[in-house]
Amino acid sequence: MSGLIGVFAELDSTVNAIGELRRSRFNEITVYSPTPRHELEHAIEAPPSRVRVFTLIGGVCGATFGYWIAIWSSRYWPIVVGGKAIATWVPYTIFGFEVMVLVGSLSTVFALFALSRVPRLTMTVGYDERFSQGHFGIFVATAPDRAKEAAELLKKHGAVEVRHEA
Amino acid sequence: MATAAPPMEQRPNIPSATVRLPAVKDYEQVDREIMGTLKPTLGWFAALATAILCLLIGVSAWFYQVYAGMGVAGYNPPVMWGVYIISFVFWVGIGHAGTLISAILYLFRAGFRTSIYRCAEAMTVFAVMTAGLFPILHLGRPWKFFWLIPYPNWRLLWPQFKSPLVWDVFAILTYLTVSSTFLYIGLIPDIATLRDKETNPVRKAIYAAMSLGWRNSDREWRHFTRAYLFLAAFSTPLVLSVHSVVSFDFAMALTPGWHATIFPPYFVAGAIFSGLGMVFTIIIPIRKFFKLQHYVTLNDLDAAAKMCLFTSLVVGLAYLTEFQIAWMSGNKYEQDYFWNRVFGQWAWAAWIMLICNMVLPLSLFSQKLRRNPSWLFILSLFINLGMWFERFVIVVPALSHEFEPWQWGTYAPTWVDYAILLGSFGWFFMWFLLFIKQLPVIAITEMKEIVPPKLRKVGGGGH
Amino acid sequence: MSETTTPRVRRREFLKVLGAGTAAGAAACSEPTGKLIPYLVSPDQTVPGVSTYFASVCRECSATCGIIAETRDGRVIKLEGNPEHPLNHGALCARGQSAVQGLYNPDRFRSPMIKTGGAWKMATWDEAIALLSQKLGEHKARAGSAVFLNQHESGSFPTFIDSWLSSFGMRPHVSVDFEADHAVIEANKRSYGVAWPGLAFGQAQLIVSVGADFLDGWGSSVQHQLDFADARAKGASAPRFVYIGPRRSLTGLNADQWVSCTPGGELAIVNFLLGRGDARAAATASGANADALTALARELAAAKPSLVIAGGRGENGLEVALAVGALNKAAGNVGVTVRPADAALGFEGISKQGDVMAAVERMRSGSVAVAFVRGPNPAYSLSPSAKFAEAFGNVAFKVSFSLYPDETTEMCDLILPDLHSLEQWGDSEPVKGTLGLQQPAMDPVFTGSRATADVLIAVAKKDAAAASKFPADFRTWLIARLPAGTAQRSAMLAKGIGAGSITRREVSSTTTPSSVAAAAGEYFLVTYPSPTLGDGRGANKPWLQELPDPVTKILWSSWVEIHPETAAKLGVERGDILEVKTAAGSVRAPALVYLGIRPDTVAMAIGQGHATAAQPTFFDGKDTGVQWGYGRYSRSVGANAGALLSGAVNGGGGWVASGKCDVVKTGERQTVPTTEGSARQHGRGIAQAIEASELGKPQEAESHGHIPGAASTAFLPGLRSPVAADAQGDLGAPTAADKGNQVGMYDPNHPLGMAKRRWAMTIDLARCTGCSACVTACYAENNIPTVGAPWQNGVVYAEKRPGFNITRGREMNWLRLERYYEGAEKGGFTEDFEARFIPMMCQHCGNAPCEPVCPVYATYHAPDGLNVQVYNRCVGTRYCSNNCPYKVRYFNWFGYGEPDRIQYAFPEPLNWQLNPDVTVRGKGVMEKCSFCVQRIREAENRAVLDQREMAADEFTTACAAACPSRAIVFGDAADDSWSVTKYVANERAYHVFEELNTYTAVVYLKKINHAAAGAGAGER
Repeated sequence: MSGLIGVFAELDSTVNAIGELRRSRFNEITVYSPTPRHELEHAIEAPPSRVRVFTLIGGVCGATFGYWIAIWSSRYWPIVVGGKAIATWVPYTIFGFEVMVLVGSLSTVFALFALSRVPRLTMTVGYDERFSQGHFGIFVATAPDRAKEAAELLKKHGAVEVRHEA
Repeated sequence: MATAAPPMEQRPNIPSATVRLPAVKDYEQVDREIMGTLKPTLGWFAALATAILCLLIGVSAWFYQVYAGMGVAGYNPPVMWGVYIISFVFWVGIGHAGTLISAILYLFRAGFRTSIYRCAEAMTVFAVMTAGLFPILHLGRPWKFFWLIPYPNWRLLWPQFKSPLVWDVFAILTYLTVSSTFLYIGLIPDIATLRDKETNPVRKAIYAAMSLGWRNSDREWRHFTRAYLFLAAFSTPLVLSVHSVVSFDFAMALTPGWHATIFPPYFVAGAIFSGLGMVFTIIIPIRKFFKLQHYVTLNDLDAAAKMCLFTSLVVGLAYLTEFQIAWMSGNKYEQDYFWNRVFGQWAWAAWIMLICNMVLPLSLFSQKLRRNPSWLFILSLFINLGMWFERFVIVVPALSHEFEPWQWGTYAPTWVDYAILLGSFGWFFMWFLLFIKQLPVIAITEMKEIVPPKLRKVGGGGH
Repeated sequence: MSETTTPRVRRREFLKVLGAGTAAGAAACSEPTGKLIPYLVSPDQTVPGVSTYFASVCRECSATCGIIAETRDGRVIKLEGNPEHPLNHGALCARGQSAVQGLYNPDRFRSPMIKTGGAWKMATWDEAIALLSQKLGEHKARAGSAVFLNQHESGSFPTFIDSWLSSFGMRPHVSVDFEADHAVIEANKRSYGVAWPGLAFGQAQLIVSVGADFLDGWGSSVQHQLDFADARAKGASAPRFVYIGPRRSLTGLNADQWVSCTPGGELAIVNFLLGRGDARAAATASGANADALTALARELAAAKPSLVIAGGRGENGLEVALAVGALNKAAGNVGVTVRPADAALGFEGISKQGDVMAAVERMRSGSVAVAFVRGPNPAYSLSPSAKFAEAFGNVAFKVSFSLYPDETTEMCDLILPDLHSLEQWGDSEPVKGTLGLQQPAMDPVFTGSRATADVLIAVAKKDAAAASKFPADFRTWLIARLPAGTAQRSAMLAKGIGAGSITRREVSSTTTPSSVAAAAGEYFLVTYPSPTLGDGRGANKPWLQELPDPVTKILWSSWVEIHPETAAKLGVERGDILEVKTAAGSVRAPALVYLGIRPDTVAMAIGQGHATAAQPTFFDGKDTGVQWGYGRYSRSVGANAGALLSGAVNGGGGWVASGKCDVVKTGERQTVPTTEGSARQHGRGIAQAIEASELGKPQEAESHGHIPGAASTAFLPGLRSPVAADAQGDLGAPTAADKGNQVGMYDPNHPLGMAKRRWAMTIDLARCTGCSACVTACYAENNIPTVGAPWQNGVVYAEKRPGFNITRGREMNWLRLERYYEGAEKGGFTEDFEARFIPMMCQHCGNAPCEPVCPVYATYHAPDGLNVQVYNRCVGTRYCSNNCPYKVRYFNWFGYGEPDRIQYAFPEPLNWQLNPDVTVRGKGVMEKCSFCVQRIREAENRAVLDQREMAADEFTTACAAACPSRAIVFGDAADDSWSVTKYVANERAYHVFEELNTYTAVVYLKKINHAAAGAGAGER
């Protein structure tokens, strides 16, 4: 998907650019920023992250497994120790909890990777090394016929550089 | 340093959530100054060499112990646990401040965490890595350690899940995994920054791989912030649980002096206390040698010192409560034990503990001292010492003075114990030193959250 | 017959012999063990892995108890008492059990040795015998002067030696016993007509011991202990026991009252009791308390019958013993409590020390051409003032028959290593009309050793005159002496004893009490033979070195007993090295501050401090690894208190073991190896006692108070703990749903029926005297390593001194004997304190604290109530030990069981003794008392194989079997037919640390104290 990329030095100009781009129905935009900024989030108005779902499922599975492994293995070889019951749920709660945390957080990380498409092997189109440092960036995916319009729009909002990416 | 600080820092007790770094102008300065610390220096090589030497001493002592038998260590039945378990608890405790600062303070939006949390987190991971070694090298048959782990095996032999030691295995391994994941996730954007600034192709390639091709795109940031939040939410109860479980090793036993319900909160407080102590021990020299005073400001140290003071008060209260309970319990075994601990055989150790952990930290009530890095550093050393002795006082006197008077004994470590303890410090600092020269000790990305971004119209922006 | 010196080869021979079946005997060089009729099973059933039992005679002291040697695959692995024997009735003391370590001692000579030019050369028997007969020929002219020192033993052997000697025109031998209490023997002869009358403790109303330590190995110790324990177990009607002496020995600690007096002061007291003189005079003369004496006199007069026993090691020992004899006659005790009819004959025919000294003097004069030593070790035992070495040096040719190197043997010219008593024939007459047969229980461990008797015969055969006087071998000679000859021998093989008497050799003793110069010194000195090491003979046996002294609980060391007051005066604490000086010599040993000794007296035990000679050089460079001195285990251990003795002889012909001395603090210190932590109970009610008057009355709670939530004693009968209930109810109920077929062993309907039983043990503290025989029995049965040897510490930067591991608390005694003091808390000297002995081993708790903390199920609860330890599963976290309130779990700090390690506890051939039914634990695992699970399972299996139910009291544990007090009873508490259930129901029964709700399977019965009439000392 070809498009053009605008490099901005200032935050507010980036925000304004995004706003106008979306108003003029450039919908496939990717915004780059050295650090997460709420201004940008608001401007983009993206739906909330779905990481939470993975976290929930992972946590529940973990807790279940933690209890299960302890209880099942105690039952499998019922050996009395210290006059205690064979399967004692109170101490086994520790396993429920710990494994919940373990699986829960690992699935959260998995979700992060899956949803934000990392790891990626190549710096695909529309990235500039400045974006990880001081500059903000907007990549507008657009058909060649509207490219000129977008470029002007970006320039108008004070992009220090606008270039075509293919 | 205080003199060099801009006037605003003279106004203490500013709400920590709205930290400002007047000495930091823009994103470029953050990149420049923080990445500047990555350049290896001669002093660093010297320190690393020392750490590795210590490690080697410990390793050879351990080989000798494995070959000859545990008898070469200073065990003196009935004291069947000694320096190794003490050091285990000590290091686990240190491993607590990191996650506390990075997770709990994150949830509480405590801004002063930003400058110190990366250090603390790395410290956590390495401390837990160190702690994890001790239960193994204190085993009579260390080569059988994996029997404590529930691995599927043909005979379907499983660990005994009622044993606090198995709880430990789960708690420690979970904690190690989660905290190192947490550290790495936080590092990804920073590594991306390193990658983009790096010119050496080899290093660039390595950074590229480590950064997983992170691009700082809006979608990445969106999921990143959520995931980070959830990880923090998981880590918070985890931190509290881990040291509670460690305290169960003692609280679940009948042994007078161990068999106490106060142990979990008492241990958690102690852990955070010792962890903060170690944070000071580490962050203050780094702050000085890496010239990061204007990132790790006196306000940050001040705030951390307040937490340190608070936990110290909690720990002190726990000490006193222990005595009071023993006194009121009417249980002669408890009473004998505590008397012997504080006024008898082990008085010297008990008083080291009380002075280092209860008395000295009271100095932090003085704001002048809270804002005096040199004093904080000295104090932190005493805290580390005191907390090691706290564990000594918990483990040894209880075992040496149990129910059966005929089996009362004493304890004296040998050179093997000391060598392995030294080795553990070598192990810890080896990793930490390697870390601080490969990866940024201050979270670049999060710093940029604090530093005001460039704006076209002056006065706008911010959040 | 290959003449090899390495045991390894011998072992292979054993296997070969086994294969050869009963042809075994033919292959072996000595008695054909294969042909003997074993005690329990007949030989054709002898199969590998099944024990064979031989009845024999114990030669560790002069009493000659009967023993049963358990052999497995042709090797002795354990000694136990012979139940049918009139003296020990199946019990056996620690020293007796340690005989196997004499048998398998790594320092035994492998072959005869000849000293030439100051260096030792290993020789063949032909060379050795040729040399001996040649020398005898050379010195024929002076044969009459020859000296033969033989360790005293009852039976026919002394007669044999004499006949051999006479056939060479030599004078009768000297029958030496350095332990014997000669004054008492002499007095007994004069008073009762026998050397050692039977003592019927049970008959007496009151027992008074005047320095007679009949529980410390004095005389026929096991016999006395059995009777004493039975008497004391009678509860309210049991005799009260008063001990008179300068120091509380083990016997003294078992007394209800201690009347302390100066050494030698006993005479005044006994005379007073006889009505001669008044209390005040006696008190001043003896340093005793006048009121106590008056009370005692009144009590003694009231008690009919009473029993007064004398010990006579003092200067006036004979007089004391005679006075006591008069006292018993006056009180009409003779024939009632003192029974000449049941005399122990083992003590007849012991030569007086005077005779020994006479022999030494003849040696010194240079008139002696040939000297033989078999057993005794005068170079160690005689006072330095006797200058034995010098005298012995004047003998032209000196022969030793010793099995081990020792101080005397080193000086000899020829060593003809004897067989161990478990390897050769012999006999004894323990009591009148009863014969004991000593038979070889196994092939000789080393082919290089040969029975002295057979050697002597071989020598005789080379002499024209003597040849005709002797049969082919000693066995034939011996059997011929039996009243009924071969038939009787065969009969006695089975039981070890038989009817009949043997003509005893009469010794004519000349006793001239040497005039003792009034010794000078600030303190009185008392020396006594160690209860564990005897006169030093035990010092080369690791079990005995590792066995804590019953009184002081010190091991692998010597010590000087000194009263707290005196210690304070000298500024001495436990462990300060003291120098004790007498006219004869001086000795350095660490101080032991001991309540039970008079402030004006110090005491030392004899038995340690053997010489540490340099290894000899061998011409042929062959080194057998034998350590000279007195073997590796006695090297540089302690000091020899015998060096303090003047060598003077009292009227009875015994050593004067007490005198005067000076004590100097040297300023050096040493941690004394001891198993003792705190000697006080701190009110924790571990060893509980009850006043005899309280028996039968409802008891109030223990003085240490009842902790809220403590268990009631309701579960006592049957000891059905909650876990048994859980295992058998919740899990075990056949109706229990969702358990499926996984219930397994906890199901009472399980084929093995394990869940039906609950193994339990009762220990009657009223019987226990603290003799510690059970401890050694446990070591022997369970392959427990001894860890105190100097080389058994760490390798790098570790201290190399005896008992170092013990000072680190690393002793492995699965069963330990605790000794707690009661009373005398506030300083100052008092006679009024009590000692309580309590054997402590794994309590096999129903709710065992050690179990739930083990991360790998290495310890768990078996359905029959055992707390099981799985060595192979143990990873060594040691958490179980931390959580054990009784501290009865022991950890393998080093590879004590690994032959290639410096810490190896069973150097060849000691490892031949290891019990094949018990594994030798590896490095880094936890171990503990298993209630002798191997015996339990064996009995169960036997019952199954015989298709029968297990009979009540069918078997018992090693400790219970050995106990000479019969204090320990073991059995199935869930089955009322076992006798253990009766004791469990006793009013004195209690559990240690009951308030912890551990539901222990070991039940203790309170000790019974007998307060003096009037003195109402309540329960402590």
